[in-house]
Amino acid sequence: MKFDFLGRFSRNRGALVGAVVILGVALLAILAPLVYPTDPLRIVAQPELWPGEDPAYPLGTDSLGRDILAMIVHGARATLLIGLFASSVATIIGVGMGATAGYFGGWIDEIAMRAAELFQTIPNLIFVLTIVLILGSTLQNIVIAIGIVSWTPIARMTRAEFLALRDREFVQACRAMGMGNGRIILGEILPNALPPVIVLSSLVVAGAILFESAVSFLGLGDPNIASWGRLVGDGRQLIRSSWYICAIPGVAIMITVLCLNLIGDGLNDALNPKLRDR
Amino acid sequence: MAGGLAVSSRQLAALRLLRRRLIQAVPLMLGVVVINFVLIHLAPGSFLELMTAENQVSDPATVALLRKTYGMDDPLWLQLAKYVWALLHFDFGFSYRQNMPVLQAITIHLPATLLLMVSSITLAFAVGVAAGVVASIKVRTVWDTLVSVAAMFFFAAPSFWLGIMMIVLFAVKLGWMPVGGMATIGGGGGVLDILHHLILPTLALGLFYAAIYARVMRSSMLEVSQLDFVRTARAKGLSRRQVTVGHVLRNALLPVVTILGVQMGTVLAGSVVIESVFSWPGVGSLLFDSVSSRNYPVVLGILVLGSLVVIAANIAVDLVYMWLDPRIEIR
Repeated sequence: MKFDFLGRFSRNRGALVGAVVILGVALLAILAPLVYPTDPLRIVAQPELWPGEDPAYPLGTDSLGRDILAMIVHGARATLLIGLFASSVATIIGVGMGATAGYFGGWIDEIAMRAAELFQTIPNLIFVLTIVLILGSTLQNIVIAIGIVSWTPIARMTRAEFLALRDREFVQACRAMGMGNGRIILGEILPNALPPVIVLSSLVVAGAILFESAVSFLGLGDPNIASWGRLVGDGRQLIRSSWYICAIPGVAIMITVLCLNLIGDGLNDALNPKLRDR
Repeated sequence: MAGGLAVSSRQLAALRLLRRRLIQAVPLMLGVVVINFVLIHLAPGSFLELMTAENQVSDPATVALLRKTYGMDDPLWLQLAKYVWALLHFDFGFSYRQNMPVLQAITIHLPATLLLMVSSITLAFAVGVAAGVVASIKVRTVWDTLVSVAAMFFFAAPSFWLGIMMIVLFAVKLGWMPVGGMATIGGGGGVLDILHHLILPTLALGLFYAAIYARVMRSSMLEVSQLDFVRTARAKGLSRRQVTVGHVLRNALLPVVTILGVQMGTVLAGSVVIESVFSWPGVGSLLFDSVSSRNYPVVLGILVLGSLVVIAANIAVDLVYMWLDPRIEIR
């Protein structure tokens, strides 16, 4: 089973490339303190060195003379963590809402779906900005805010799976045995409903990274964290003379999001063989 | 009604749909308002203190007025009721920064944002559908690959970054496009001038959605072209082109229109970021300004009115959907 999964996943070449790159980025993020033990926001050289101009700073320096490569490496850590945590928040809310709605049906379903509609109506980024503005620009608030606007697709997917599964024979058997609702939901239906949810969660990670980068770009990011979005925002003033300061972190965001999307596609192929070639 | 007696059953159905959607919009709007209210009360410290401190209001009479406006001394449920009541009368409060009612501050900026939204959605729809159709007709050829690579690229690029890069290339290096704003300062202005300023922001915002529509359109075309009625159409002797345009395309558009409806809120939110990149004088710029100056009433007003715009846009999309697919009756 596991071997089969890996086989199907790696048959998708794009997904394989994506996985390798993301592993690389993750490794970089984990090893950041070893590669660049000093504070990445420290001024180390003359300002606005173009990439390649000084071999010691392969990606150049920014307007203050900070090493861009060091900031990218440390930024990877913040960016990936925010993406993962926000996606976890969205998945927990989405699975919780979707599973309850799909399993119990009736008015519970009605309320849950109205709530989903509500959160789809509110313009997502404006909502995130408002939450962060009112509750404060901390990492925790940003992660929760992104999770709050990202859970609806996961809830809909989980609900659909639960609707399809809740009256199947194995569930009826569990009920006949006197199993409680909680155990049936968590232990019996959820494992069967998970594959498409996992695919969506991996895509939400990519979406969350884009969200965070926009929030940081607009200057509402956690001031203690130099995520890639903030680096783009910082470099914005200098696009006439040194546009590379802005370009490099953007490329980093794009590659990471691209690879996460590729992984999502690969997971989709591997976990939902029925949907292949769609 | 001008035109006469015959209101067709289609029109009647459309009217019924409209009524139903409007009724459904009421609890949605109420939900938005309640969320807003909760946010206000989650704010650390008193909302009033923050607001007066940020805007340096010290006049006791003004503070008393604010206390009354926001009903700070009432029990929570009464505050909520009053808040809803005020919003029902389009009273969103007063913005000291602009020195005008919040509603007025927002409506001044709304047309620019709507223009950007409409042009971006139009671009996204046209480019996305065209690319998806090409990819599906030329499936597994260079064209198909080209479309999917481009779609992957634009789906992953942060729109604000794409915007900045386009400014660097087309405005700073090549000098073809203006760097930002909506009209040339001191210039004659006019429609052409605005359109010239509109091109880059539209591309920056629209290409992300074009990428989504291209992917959905491609798979939807491939799926529909395998259905029975398409085989029937081919069998009765219609040309490939007739079948593609008249049968496959029309049916394949449905999922794209659905997504379009779901994403209205996202497009509106996306324009916030793009406006800040291009100094486009829309609601996004106002929001950005209000966020930096912690002008809460305006931010909350934008959230409520933004949701209203999304609901209206969703209703419009529903009507389009019904027009595209006569099978859909109101459920």
